[in-house]
Amino acid sequence: MKASKARLVSVDGVDASAVIAAARRAIVRPGRGGVSHWDASGIFQDLCVADAAAGAPSARTLLLLYAADLAFRLRWEIRPALAAGRTVVAAPYVDTAMAFGRAAGVPVGWLTNLFRFAPPAAERHFVTATRDAGAGFVGLACQRVHGVDRRARRKLLGGAAAHLRAEAKRRARRAKP
Amino acid sequence: MAFEGPDGSGKTTQRKLFKTWLKSEGYDVVTTKWNSSDLIKPIIKSRKAVRALSPEEFSLLHGADFRHRVEQIILPALWDGKLVIADRFLFTGLARDVARGLDLDWVLKLYQPLLWPDLVFYFAVSPITSGKRVTATRMPNFYEAGQDVTDVEDPVESYQRFIARVIREYESLALIFNMITVDAEQSIGDQHRQIRELFLEGQRRPWSPWNTDAVAEWLAGQGMAR
Repeated sequence: MKASKARLVSVDGVDASAVIAAARRAIVRPGRGGVSHWDASGIFQDLCVADAAAGAPSARTLLLLYAADLAFRLRWEIRPALAAGRTVVAAPYVDTAMAFGRAAGVPVGWLTNLFRFAPPAAERHFVTATRDAGAGFVGLACQRVHGVDRRARRKLLGGAAAHLRAEAKRRARRAKP
Repeated sequence: MAFEGPDGSGKTTQRKLFKTWLKSEGYDVVTTKWNSSDLIKPIIKSRKAVRALSPEEFSLLHGADFRHRVEQIILPALWDGKLVIADRFLFTGLARDVARGLDLDWVLKLYQPLLWPDLVFYFAVSPITSGKRVTATRMPNFYEAGQDVTDVEDPVESYQRFIARVIREYESLALIFNMITVDAEQSIGDQHRQIRELFLEGQRRPWSPWNTDAVAEWLAGQGMAR
């Protein structure tokens, strides 16, 4: 029997363009794989057109919405592709949301439980660039989150990037023989 | 104060009667209903309309709606000294999600930091009564009937099966979380009198110690933390 080539690869970072570019590079054979992008469910698109009077969401609310979108991506994009023996690059996946949550002061235990439904990626890549942060989840979350002024927003974005860099370093250290 | 129970248990009728009475007694009352935040409700509604929600997505979106209402409606009203009546609270999410096959521990943690009401009334009815009352005037909708998990084509039959599971979960939760069970098969007047008496017996309480995390996090989000 031929071994399955199904593989889940994650690419996480705050720079949306750099994440997409890294995701494309991560597909070794383009015909046998694809990229699962953030907001495939359109939840955040709907959130962006919501009336300002509805009130700004907190970090936890934004993370619950990110998890709902990820559940949608897993159901319609990631799991079916893996079942068909393809490589799926989830860009972004869990680490990006974890980094935003940690920068916003959300307890790690809550974040870990939230994403318990997501299978671990076989390969994890981290993008450390921060130039184009506006279009990604972290950029949007920093823009929309309740009670944060411009300075605090920059700090939050920097905090999320720092958490991702630290996680990338930790992974690299573990990978060394 | 939270009013909990399956569809057709009459909790909305009781909530309205109770609110009218509280107002006549001089209380400043705010009501919040399940799945009603201006921010998240439209997102849920559009996805329910096309039957696009898995149990996880259903659970996470309702958790987001609840969190947003806690931060935007419930805690600000309590902070201002108002009395909040919740027509369904997080227990609705727990009962329905667990009835859909999700893990109670996972779902409960989604609602952290937990905000516990001072009083929770559980309106207990049998699955048959719930089914009779709901289907007397309308056909239960796809998710209300649990058709996403029962795979039963007939909404009424699916509702009967699903509500039996939901009620089983509610009964466990009522025991675990020390809810006050109201026999919702008795007359509307008797139920109302019982609720008034229980409310008057209870004393006004300061922030319960187990609500500290929820309040502290909300204050920090307001930029008011000291």
